[in-house]
Amino acid sequence: MLAEIGLVAGFLSFLAALYAVAASVYGERFARSEAWVISGRNAVYVTFVLITIATVALQVALMTEQYQIAYVWSVSSPDMPDLFRMTALWGSQAGSLLFWSFLISGFAAGATLANWNAYRRLMPYAIAYMMASVAFFIGLVVFIENPFTSWWILPDGEVVQTALMPAGAVAPSASRLAETANGLNPLLRHFGMAIHPPMLYLGFVGFVIPFAFAMAALASGDLSTNWIKVSRRWALAAWLFLSLGLLLGGRWAYDVLGWGGYWGWDPVENAAFLPWLVGTAYLHSVMIQEKRGMLKTWNMFLVIATFSAVIFATFATRSGLVDSVHSFARSGIGVPMFAFWFGLTFISAWLILWRRSRGELRDEHRFTSIFSREALFVLNNFVFVSLFIAIFWGSFGAPIISELFMNTNITLGADYFLQVTPPLFVLLYILMGVAPVSAWGIASLARMGTALLIPLALSAVSLALFIFSGVTNPVALFGYAIVLMSGWVAVVETVRGAIARRRAHQESILTALWALSTRNPRRYGGYLVHLGIAIIGLGVIGSTLYQVETQQTLAVGESMSIGDYDLRYDRLLSNQIADDGRVMDIAELTVLRNGAEIAHIRPRQDFFPEARDMNTMTIAGAHSTIENDLYVLLVNWDEISANRATFKVYINPLINLIWWGGLILIAGTLLAAYPRETLPVRVRQALRLAPQPA
Amino acid sequence: MSQLSTTTQGVADWEKMAGASSQSKRREFPKFLIGGVLLLVAVGYLIISGTMGGARYFMTVDELVSDPQYVGQKVRITGAVVGESIVYDSENLIIQFTIANVEDNPSDLALALHNAVSDPTIARLPVYIEGEVKPDLLQHEAQAILSGELRADGTFYATELLLKCPSRYEESVPAQVQAEPGI
Repeated sequence: MLAEIGLVAGFLSFLAALYAVAASVYGERFARSEAWVISGRNAVYVTFVLITIATVALQVALMTEQYQIAYVWSVSSPDMPDLFRMTALWGSQAGSLLFWSFLISGFAAGATLANWNAYRRLMPYAIAYMMASVAFFIGLVVFIENPFTSWWILPDGEVVQTALMPAGAVAPSASRLAETANGLNPLLRHFGMAIHPPMLYLGFVGFVIPFAFAMAALASGDLSTNWIKVSRRWALAAWLFLSLGLLLGGRWAYDVLGWGGYWGWDPVENAAFLPWLVGTAYLHSVMIQEKRGMLKTWNMFLVIATFSAVIFATFATRSGLVDSVHSFARSGIGVPMFAFWFGLTFISAWLILWRRSRGELRDEHRFTSIFSREALFVLNNFVFVSLFIAIFWGSFGAPIISELFMNTNITLGADYFLQVTPPLFVLLYILMGVAPVSAWGIASLARMGTALLIPLALSAVSLALFIFSGVTNPVALFGYAIVLMSGWVAVVETVRGAIARRRAHQESILTALWALSTRNPRRYGGYLVHLGIAIIGLGVIGSTLYQVETQQTLAVGESMSIGDYDLRYDRLLSNQIADDGRVMDIAELTVLRNGAEIAHIRPRQDFFPEARDMNTMTIAGAHSTIENDLYVLLVNWDEISANRATFKVYINPLINLIWWGGLILIAGTLLAAYPRETLPVRVRQALRLAPQPA
Repeated sequence: MSQLSTTTQGVADWEKMAGASSQSKRREFPKFLIGGVLLLVAVGYLIISGTMGGARYFMTVDELVSDPQYVGQKVRITGAVVGESIVYDSENLIIQFTIANVEDNPSDLALALHNAVSDPTIARLPVYIEGEVKPDLLQHEAQAILSGELRADGTFYATELLLKCPSRYEESVPAQVQAEPGI
């Protein structure tokens, strides 16, 4: 029953999405008919309702264990806890595409609902672009990767997987299906995996909104900053989700993959990072258009590049284009996805060139000074785009071009990225330190210098702390100095604003801070994000340059030492069975520092008796402090006596700053998206002073 | 108050600049141009030198073994892991195993891997890795992607190991269902 509901709702939502595109374009462009346009708008909502029904149907099928549905059979099994039954919705290709379609359709419906009245002129075209994307993804679900196909036994005994029941076929027995069901890949049974994909998908699909409104601006001819105003919060939300998705992915890798790291320059990781890079460039450069009416074409280009990178990342991940730990199995969606990506990029580029050739994207100001804020923002954009190009080239460009034109296959490993990206990141951090104290339009080096004095002094003091703690490598110190500087600038600028306000308004410093952040959430939210990024930077430098690793075999009662820590092996608990059926071998260790016991950690190995293929998992035990992580892997142990065990131990300095910086980044982005009072102070005061009507 | 006056000062400065003759624009323009070109050259240099240093030929076991010119060169290879060959010295973190040749881009990777390890006539290559904990995915019929070099002793010394189990995400016919239909 659920399979039929899903099939029908999915198919109807596909038709509704196509109708929304057709009715909007026909009504606005050709018939000039309000009725058609409104009908197209309503189809947006209908599409969302229908795809929601399909998604709920699959989720219910997973929760109620309908193993006849092949998708449910392949990603869940009777012994799985409910949490992973829920997350199994995106545990494999077909389900995750359905979930993705649901999200993108939800974004489209939300943006339509929120902006219909205020931006009536842009809406029909925005709907057309959004719904074309929605229709494409629903089409993939319905026609190529349908999660609602079921197992059938044909009269001749052959077992097949089809959407509709073949003539004379019978359903396999429920108990047999339940016994043979696959279960979710053990690697994906982790809290991080429960939220990493949805966050990443939300980040990806969210960028459809700025993209659609940019295209709507080009198509409708409303080339004011309306499209930017409409899409700013959507872009921020998408950026936030994407950042979170990347951070959670790193956290998952760190917890589950057991190699002591969080970022491996794997092509699929890079693919998700690419839209983040151009998206971040976009969030900065739209400010120039809003304040100075410049870079109109460039902003269009960036927003298109961002969504194009999203589609490319999806294509690269899901089509099996690159070899990676993440990649889905080779799949039939490669060609349609590539065609969609190519078509979308081509049409967008053509629209920009067309409007440009008509002189409608001319900038209102020109660059006057190298140290003006707009020039620094352009430099910021240049670096982001350079990073984009370098990472794209390393992950996809070089392998694809060498295969197409040189008849060999050349790949670039992690050492390429470690050589090319650090100088660019350094440049970004320098800009992050300098740009906030620059001014629009003019260059005032003296003023910038003065504003940088206090952050410089604070950076010198905090750098001294690093030197005191034993950092002597000049490269590391240089990195720390740049990053500290960028963080302190954000802090000092905020505090300076608060102090000035306190003087003017006789408020306490906290009230002043609060008032500042609510009056100008964009600026102070932005500074908070900068601070978060700086803190992440410290964590990355520390954990990359100063990771210590060792490995040793211990008998029960023996200790080993690493860094300031001693690690004592207490005992092994073997064959512990968890609720979900996994069999765990757990080593218990005591962490000592200066002779005092400070923690107990339990690295373990899990064995999944029912899983096929991949059935063991090494889970690290970690003792986390702000200073570092002591990260221990149980490598091997003596099966019979359980007396001796081998451990691989890492010390990852400052790694927790990455996660803490991430939290600050979230807070900052939320603040930046906070609705602010739109009337200028003078007007508000005048309103307050005006005589009240009797 | 003091803030307000700096702002007006700033605006005044700006208006002076904006109203300035096109001469100043012309003076600034070459700076932007030169700066831009220098940056482009620098980034181009970074990418090219990185590519030179980081490039690895990606090849199959057959291609590597059949051409002696690759001995001692850094390459990336792919092959199917032969399960019974895996030897793991956990005391010293040394992993040794054998991979069998798999064709480039097979249509059914799982089948190709299975065929590769089942057929003893297919080219095989012993692999040696030091300093790595045995990955959970290192199993029979997994696809291994290795970076490293083939030395004269005929062993591939790897520095980087990536593994894939292709059937992880794929649905295949439930064999037991087939064995007992309709029960």
